[in-house]
Amino acid sequence: MLLRRMYQFGLIYFSGIAFLFLVKYSLGLSDYVIPGPGATWQIAGQVALRYARDVSNTLAVAVVGQFVSLFFAFIVGICGRQATWFGSLIKVAAYNVQAYPIVAIAPILFILLGDGFFTRLLIAAMICYFPLLLSILGIMSEPVIDIEHFYRQTQRMRWQLEVKIRAFENLHKLTTVISGSATLAMAGTIVAEFIAANAGIGYSIRIALYQSDLGKILVALFIIGITVSLYQGLLERIGYVIKAIWGRSQ
Amino acid sequence: MTGFAHFRIRLLQAFKTISSNWILKAVFTIFVCIIAVSAQAEDKITYRLKWLINMSTVGDLYARDLGYFKAKGMTVNIKPGGPERDAIRELELGYADFGAASADQVIRALDKGAPLVVVAQLFQVNPLQWIYRSSGMKLTSLDALRGKAIGITYGKNDEIIMQTLLSQAGIKHNQVRFFSVRLDYTPFYKGDVELWPVYINTQGVEIAKRLKSAGEQVSFFRPDRFGVRFVANSVVTSRRMATKHPDTVKRFIQALLNGWGDSLDPANAQKALSIIKKYDRDASDDVLKAQLKATRSLIVPGAGKKVGMIDRDAWKQTEKIMLTHGQIKRPVNVTTVLSPVN
Repeated sequence: MLLRRMYQFGLIYFSGIAFLFLVKYSLGLSDYVIPGPGATWQIAGQVALRYARDVSNTLAVAVVGQFVSLFFAFIVGICGRQATWFGSLIKVAAYNVQAYPIVAIAPILFILLGDGFFTRLLIAAMICYFPLLLSILGIMSEPVIDIEHFYRQTQRMRWQLEVKIRAFENLHKLTTVISGSATLAMAGTIVAEFIAANAGIGYSIRIALYQSDLGKILVALFIIGITVSLYQGLLERIGYVIKAIWGRSQ
Repeated sequence: MTGFAHFRIRLLQAFKTISSNWILKAVFTIFVCIIAVSAQAEDKITYRLKWLINMSTVGDLYARDLGYFKAKGMTVNIKPGGPERDAIRELELGYADFGAASADQVIRALDKGAPLVVVAQLFQVNPLQWIYRSSGMKLTSLDALRGKAIGITYGKNDEIIMQTLLSQAGIKHNQVRFFSVRLDYTPFYKGDVELWPVYINTQGVEIAKRLKSAGEQVSFFRPDRFGVRFVANSVVTSRRMATKHPDTVKRFIQALLNGWGDSLDPANAQKALSIIKKYDRDASDDVLKAQLKATRSLIVPGAGKKVGMIDRDAWKQTEKIMLTHGQIKRPVNVTTVLSPVN
């Protein structure tokens, strides 16, 4: 699965690069507009290691941010799953928070928290939180009638059991959503770093942009893509393992 | 003009010879009308600025809004720039005919083979300077930078300028404290950073006003006073445009520089301010006035020199600085692309 994700990413990335080179050579553009294969390779040799470290830094923040948002999405999803007044209030509050654009909130966060780890973490969590919340709310609000009916009739249904049944029956959906939100967490962290941080690949991309260096940006995109593919593949693998263990214990 | 008069005489002679045939005459009249209309059609020019519209673009807007380009037979579409917009790339891709770019952009582009020509240098003094609280600090020598907390934007030209100044003074990196600058000025207002890079004719005016209103005195640290004359915004065009349409280049630059010159003439200050006010609605009148005054001191060269003149020595120095700091791989001989329009 990991290997498949990596070569699929490689296919998309190198198709994109090939298209850029095609444009470059057919229009006779200089290396300033689109760097040639030789120049890109040379830049990769110079910055790949540093960028790989930057991407690891960004990924670490993104992973923590994703788990924070996952935690909150589950809390809100579990509380908001019931069609009660309180459930409805939780949903409205959660949706409204998302209505504020992150670019408007980010400067306030940077003033309050500075430009360190916590600001990046918070922005990453905010960006990937909403899609997670929507999916978890959807899953948690949908009864698994066949199974739940039995427990209700025998009066053995507790909220923990209800959550467990719905999570287990939708584990494939949950895995897909969590894996997908990894991309959003990564994108959120990069945006945060681009706006104001002093570390991470977003910060390096900002410097490359100041220097009009598309070659560096292409290298950064490759490392980001390959890292996110690996991470997503890993999350999917964990999902399968959990389902298998959970299935055996039932 | 002489050529056009000659063309008209030839046309009249041809008209007389075919006047006996009315169909031919009608066709000929339509043909002449088409030629006349196309001869009068204005050149459509796209000019990409380096940054958003503010006081640093007053001359560009003045030339457009007060008909300087029209008078030269041109319709100019001025497009604001920004961090993600690069005028030099647009020249090469054919999205723009002229652009404003800083010297470091030009030199980097030449290093990568971009075919471009510098046709005018707008800023004679680089507006990028460092603001500092002058109470208790006098930066009369470079050595005074030792031990200071200095803001720099990593990757931008203020980083290279400051590195050059420090190495000129023999100050090592561990003898100053660098602070990575972003859009938020809070670290400077709080006093965590002692020198903060600003464009003195725009942000510099606003920050200075805010601090003065809080009872603090500020000054600006000017790198050119210590011999570092890193060139700022200039007007560039593609080599193709300069070679194939020299007349268009000449008309554009003449109109642009006349616009710049007149916009900075104190007699036209009110007109210039009202033009900028249309785009910068949030700035107060006194801030705009101060910005215009600051811009004048950066653009208008000394007596006997014209607006837009190219300072070749400063360009040579800028290239040398970039080469020293590894910003370019090899010399690009930047003076070979400096092509001022007379």
